[in-house]
Amino acid sequence: MSPQSVPRFDHGSRVPGWDDAVDLTKPPATVPDPALTPVSDELRAGIEAAMAKYPDRHSAAIPALHLAQQEHGYCSPEAITEVAAVMRLTPAYLTSVATFYDMFEMERKPKNDVYVCTNISCSLRGGDEFYAAMLAAADGGTDVNVRSFECLGACDIAPMASVNGEFVGPLTTEDAGQIVADLAAGRPVLEHKQLRYRRCADPGVESAAGEEPQ
Amino acid sequence: MKILFDRIDEPGLNTLPVYEARGGYKALRQALTMEPADVVDQISKSGLRGRGGAGFPAGRKSSFLPKGDMSKYLVCNADESEPGTFKDRELMQKSPHMLIEGIVIACWGAGISHAFIYIRGEYQLQADILEAAIAEAVQAGYIGEDILGSGFSLSLVLHRGAGAYICGEETGLLDSLEGKRGNPRLKPPFPAVEGLYAGPTLINNVETLATMPHIITMGGEEYAKLGVENSAGTKLVSVSGDVQRPGNYEIELGTSSRELIFDLAGGTFPGREVLLWFPGGSSSPVLTKDDLDLPYDFDAMAKAGTMLGSGAIIVVDDSHHPLEVALKLAKFYSHESCGKCVPCREGTNWTYKMLQRIETGEATPMDLDIMASVQEQIIGNCLCVLGDAMAMPVGSIVEKFRAELEAEIEAARARHDAGSLEHVIPVGVADEHAGPIPVH
Amino acid sequence: MPRPEQKTISLTIDGREVAAIENSMLVDAAKAGDVEIPYFCYEPKLGEPVGACRMCLVEIEGIPKLQTSCSTPVKDGMVVHTQTDRVKGAQNAIVEFLLINHPLDCPVCDKGGECPLQDITFGWGLGRSRMLEPKRHFVKPLALSPLVAIDRERCILCYRCVRFSQEISEDYQLIFTERGAHTFVGTHDGHPYSAPFSGNIIELCPVGALTSQPYRFRARPWDIEGAGGICTLCPSQCNVTFTVRDEKVLRVLSRDSLGNPAVDDGWLCDKGRFGYQAIHVDERITRPLVRDGGELRPVSWERALETAAGLAKHTGRTAALAGGQATNEEAFLIQRLLREGLASHDLDCRFSESVSLELARALAAPALQATVPDLEFAHTVLLIGAEPLDDAPILDLRIRKGVRRQGVQLAIASARPSALDPNAAISVRYPPGGEAAFLADLENALAGESDSAPDANVAALARQLTEGGEDIVIVWSERLASAALPTLLRIAERLKLAERDGAGLLELPSGSNGRGLREAGFLPNAGPGYGDPVQAGRGTAEIAAAAKAGDVTALYLLQVDPQRELPDRAAWDAAMHHASLIVAHASVLTEGLKEHATVVFPAESYAEKDGTVVHPDGRLQRLRTAIAHPGEIRAGWQVIAEISRRAGLDQGVLTGPMAFRQLCDAVPFYADLTLEQIAGHGLRWPETDAASKLPAGAGAEAVSGSDLERLASPPAVFDSSQQGLRLGTYRSIWAAPEVELSPALHFTIAEQLVELAPADAERLGIDNGAEITVAQNGTRLSARAAVRSGVPNGTAFMADGIASDSANALTERVVEVSPQ
Ligand SMILES: Cc1cc2nc3c(=O)[nH]c(=O)nc-3n(C[C@H](O)[C@H](O)[C@H](O)COP(=O)(O)O)c2cc1C
Ligand code: SF4
Ligand code: FES
Repeated sequence: MSPQSVPRFDHGSRVPGWDDAVDLTKPPATVPDPALTPVSDELRAGIEAAMAKYPDRHSAAIPALHLAQQEHGYCSPEAITEVAAVMRLTPAYLTSVATFYDMFEMERKPKNDVYVCTNISCSLRGGDEFYAAMLAAADGGTDVNVRSFECLGACDIAPMASVNGEFVGPLTTEDAGQIVADLAAGRPVLEHKQLRYRRCADPGVESAAGEEPQ
Repeated sequence: MKILFDRIDEPGLNTLPVYEARGGYKALRQALTMEPADVVDQISKSGLRGRGGAGFPAGRKSSFLPKGDMSKYLVCNADESEPGTFKDRELMQKSPHMLIEGIVIACWGAGISHAFIYIRGEYQLQADILEAAIAEAVQAGYIGEDILGSGFSLSLVLHRGAGAYICGEETGLLDSLEGKRGNPRLKPPFPAVEGLYAGPTLINNVETLATMPHIITMGGEEYAKLGVENSAGTKLVSVSGDVQRPGNYEIELGTSSRELIFDLAGGTFPGREVLLWFPGGSSSPVLTKDDLDLPYDFDAMAKAGTMLGSGAIIVVDDSHHPLEVALKLAKFYSHESCGKCVPCREGTNWTYKMLQRIETGEATPMDLDIMASVQEQIIGNCLCVLGDAMAMPVGSIVEKFRAELEAEIEAARARHDAGSLEHVIPVGVADEHAGPIPVH
Repeated sequence: MPRPEQKTISLTIDGREVAAIENSMLVDAAKAGDVEIPYFCYEPKLGEPVGACRMCLVEIEGIPKLQTSCSTPVKDGMVVHTQTDRVKGAQNAIVEFLLINHPLDCPVCDKGGECPLQDITFGWGLGRSRMLEPKRHFVKPLALSPLVAIDRERCILCYRCVRFSQEISEDYQLIFTERGAHTFVGTHDGHPYSAPFSGNIIELCPVGALTSQPYRFRARPWDIEGAGGICTLCPSQCNVTFTVRDEKVLRVLSRDSLGNPAVDDGWLCDKGRFGYQAIHVDERITRPLVRDGGELRPVSWERALETAAGLAKHTGRTAALAGGQATNEEAFLIQRLLREGLASHDLDCRFSESVSLELARALAAPALQATVPDLEFAHTVLLIGAEPLDDAPILDLRIRKGVRRQGVQLAIASARPSALDPNAAISVRYPPGGEAAFLADLENALAGESDSAPDANVAALARQLTEGGEDIVIVWSERLASAALPTLLRIAERLKLAERDGAGLLELPSGSNGRGLREAGFLPNAGPGYGDPVQAGRGTAEIAAAAKAGDVTALYLLQVDPQRELPDRAAWDAAMHHASLIVAHASVLTEGLKEHATVVFPAESYAEKDGTVVHPDGRLQRLRTAIAHPGEIRAGWQVIAEISRRAGLDQGVLTGPMAFRQLCDAVPFYADLTLEQIAGHGLRWPETDAASKLPAGAGAEAVSGSDLERLASPPAVFDSSQQGLRLGTYRSIWAAPEVELSPALHFTIAEQLVELAPADAERLGIDNGAEITVAQNGTRLSARAAVRSGVPNGTAFMADGIASDSANALTERVVEVSPQ
């Protein structure tokens, strides 16, 4: 068994750049000069609004990265440089933050995010099988980004997934194809399985009828 | 007895009019007529213990904050990332104002003027709902300058995380909220002394804070009558895994676990038996079917060598092998370890690799001893308790299911007829030379 | 600000009473009590402990969990155990954990033999591995920068390097990316980590993960010796240890891990860390040269000395200049030669306008001198025309430290945007050459006429100085127009800087030993120790003119090439052309010398010299011979003494120490000093009793008159309709021959970068990075444009002291900038 064949970076984590050297032809990445870094007005406004919310502008790093990821599709070096220019930080500061969190993508990715929970409760109920099915269903399609995720906090609808932020479950392997279809058609995904409409499981909450999906 | 979940599915409860119509924000008005000290006193009297995992008495924590008018902060921990836990989610989605009211009350009690809700980034629906609710509350003057003419002012900011379990750990949360990587901090100093932006900071779980209005309405003593000794009140319990009716249930602490798992959550599926169960989220040492009659409260769980944790029961039935569970745990915690401290970073990673070797038939029973001693060396030696959070359940599985694991080791080795272990003996080092450094 | 008080308490470690400073960290207290606790991530230089590696766990009675001794402040009566089974178990475990992913490639690792991980594994490890899993393996080594190689397999993620980048140099380029076991040290998007202090991470790394590209595989710890010395590549004069193998310097490290707190705090800049390579390059002159048939050719010492002795024929018409790397002794002996032997009085080591003796004395007054640590504990630090990063890099770090850890209020008054602006509470910009006018405004503002302050910033600055606390340190540059100095002095008097220990002035001289050379009497208007000169002579600018006019016929150049380093290149070209005898001490042939020198003596490098230098804060430090002289090089003092003898003046010095003795006898305020005293960490003469022997300068009011006459009228407000741009100059940290000669530093060689404001760049149709031409009555320089938001409109900043297209070719205040 050669060291390279040892599984090291499986289970949903991005493959890191351990083996990358720096490019000595590049200049050092210092705080970008605003005069030399064009930033779209929305992005700039959004980031400045975020900075205004906190006693310390650094707190806006994560909100700002969310905005930049929306605008650029992922946290591209350019996206990060733009945030750095507005926040008066080095791009490295933001790269360091972005790579820490699972929801920031450092590589170009398909538009739609399908996070499949493969943590305990879901996997007990077939989460891993659904993940496989989801991968298969999305295969070939270009606009679905399937990732195995840790517990998404919806074990009551296990096995579940988050489709562009919408929690759906309990899922069967058949649902995988449906999700891809719904995304392609641009309609609400698996609406009858969306968590937002689910009633509380506790029989004790003598609840008036919650609105049902039509 | 429903307190937090009382008519929780009432349509529109997430909007201010409906919440007010059923008496919402009355508790706040009442609290604002009380001395801050009395508010904290009521909370102490209620015996409410933190619902986030550590179970620390809420009143005492709030009393730790220094008095005087420096900038103090409250952070509501809505990161809810403990596997098996999803109670805060339902609460925030269906009754956001209950949380907001609780936050304002807690801030008034501790003399805090800046509050934040740190919600995990994956909870987009809940975050949107909270944001709308906060806007309503600001509109109605429940948040902002001179609240309800009391002279008390409070700002409340919703902060969305971006996917990292460790940001639920209170000091990791603080770093994350300050715009850094969510690495836990050395304690001391404790947040109550030096927390967010180096100011005194009170950190409480969603459920803990959402309970505050009810304590004010009922009065501390009344609330304390609910539940059992050292475990006052009701608790939202997330039950999931191999049960027929997974979901959140509000119970009085002290209810028998069996009632919770079988009567409420429907119990295991026909023909299945409980193999093991987590009483307090994936971080709690596992229990077996022999423990099903334990009363569900802090002390009983502690006595059984485990913990109530975040109040999340995960049931695993006998269609699964303990190894499966251990693998999931190790994988999860090694993925979520922030990497700052050595025992957690390397220990979780190594444990995962050892478990993988059992699966691939490359392990021997000796590995179970190594695994056990590794867990022992993780526990108590890490910067925060994430390491312990893996070591305790995995340790308990190795201890309680040693026979099954040894059997599996043999079975797997037979499956892979991996007679020799040569191929897992450490490989030689890559040789290095003084030549020019390869660049891009 | 009051320095922290230290109270001694006592605690018990492993049953032994140990005395320690209250609240010092347990790990340090233990070390002081001879108990060694192993650790990796702890490094006091880096500030607050992080408690990441967990190697330092110990048992403290009364606390259930093991505690990290790196982050536990000691209290009186504490009872600590470091030898229990529990502690040993934890230590074994941590080592085992660290080795899970650490390749055991020690035999081929550059750190082998001086590696904390190796030592700690040996001392506290289990001794056997229970790990069967294959270790991770990566491509290695990789370039992290042209200076540093990274080996990620070996990294133990101890946080030291990234904390340095983030909290000490604050360049925030080196980071951890990813999370958990995937975490690795890197930069943004593959940009190199190049920053002025990047080399320090090599010394910080406790494993072989970060290694020095120039040093890798040049030696093993048992091949080398360490020799203490002083880096004289800039006025910071950091205390270093030369790593010596076979009489060659292979590496420069900080003197010891905590460094010299009074000087460098244990850090080095990359110029100092890698500039040593210039010592062993082929360009180095190792034999005397004499011009013969238009060419400088190697000759015997005899012939070279005889040629130099020809100075005797220029009695009354010899002039001398001394450059920053010369020692006090060398300067002292040459000024004796000129004044006593050659009846010549034209000598200078100040290359900007000269300063009246009265003023010089007043500014050097012992009570007025601030120290380096004062920068850290002052209420306010005010920089006037000084850019520490370029003028004395290590002070840049000290100022950042003060701001970050002690809440020092930093104020910056300068023409050019400063690297410290982001840390400053107040930044005021004045037009290039406008410092005198600015200080006049400030003085008025201080005098309460703050409404008369043309600029709100000046008013704010005045308020900070009057209300922000008494401990004020004013850091100013030798490059300030001398017309500004009387005002500076009056401001110092008004703020009573002389009356407080923590307050004062700190001048950053242009030359590394600028202060020492002056105190040795290498000035036209002052003898040794600022005594009255036998006879006043000409200063730098006048010398050039006199040489051109033929009134000066011989030049003695001590480690300086006027064409390269002094203002008005053209004037010096002419001067050297006309001089009939030019004697120089130099280590390489720079242009001016190559063209004009008559005889060139090989100069010693700072690793070869035996002598003394003076730190800008008055600290005498000793250079010691670390390596043998290459080739035929002889000691500078010896050569000068020999030339003097042959020119008819026997100076009676037979050893370096004898020269020092003479110096101390001649400089009254050195009277108390001995070489023994200044060995080690050096000694500040202003703190000795003899300090009082410095002739008192006249009060500010008195000196003012004479100098105020020469007050250059502040540049008129700039009218942007006009084509030209106002010219400001700067000298980059990299603008030094040593940098050009050190292969490792080639990538930093400062090309001519013209810094422009975005508006001007736009108006002139110039893009960032574009090739441009800078013209001024006839002279044309080619350069590259650097568009910077901070640059004031109508201004262009250009580098001087660089090899080609240096701004010292320009003499006027306005330049024409145009695209090429
Ligand atoms: C690894 C780790 C993860 C945690 N995650 C959460 C969480 O998701 N939500 C939460 O409320 N508390 C979490 N906690 C507990 C918090 O650190 C803290 O104790 C709690 O929020 C305090 O609130 P309480 O006193 O109201 O329980 C976590 C702790 C650890 C060590
Ligand atoms: S590279 Fe060295 S200094 Fe940096 S984290 Fe790794 S081991 Fe520590
Ligand atoms: S030295 Fe104490 S934890 Fe690293």
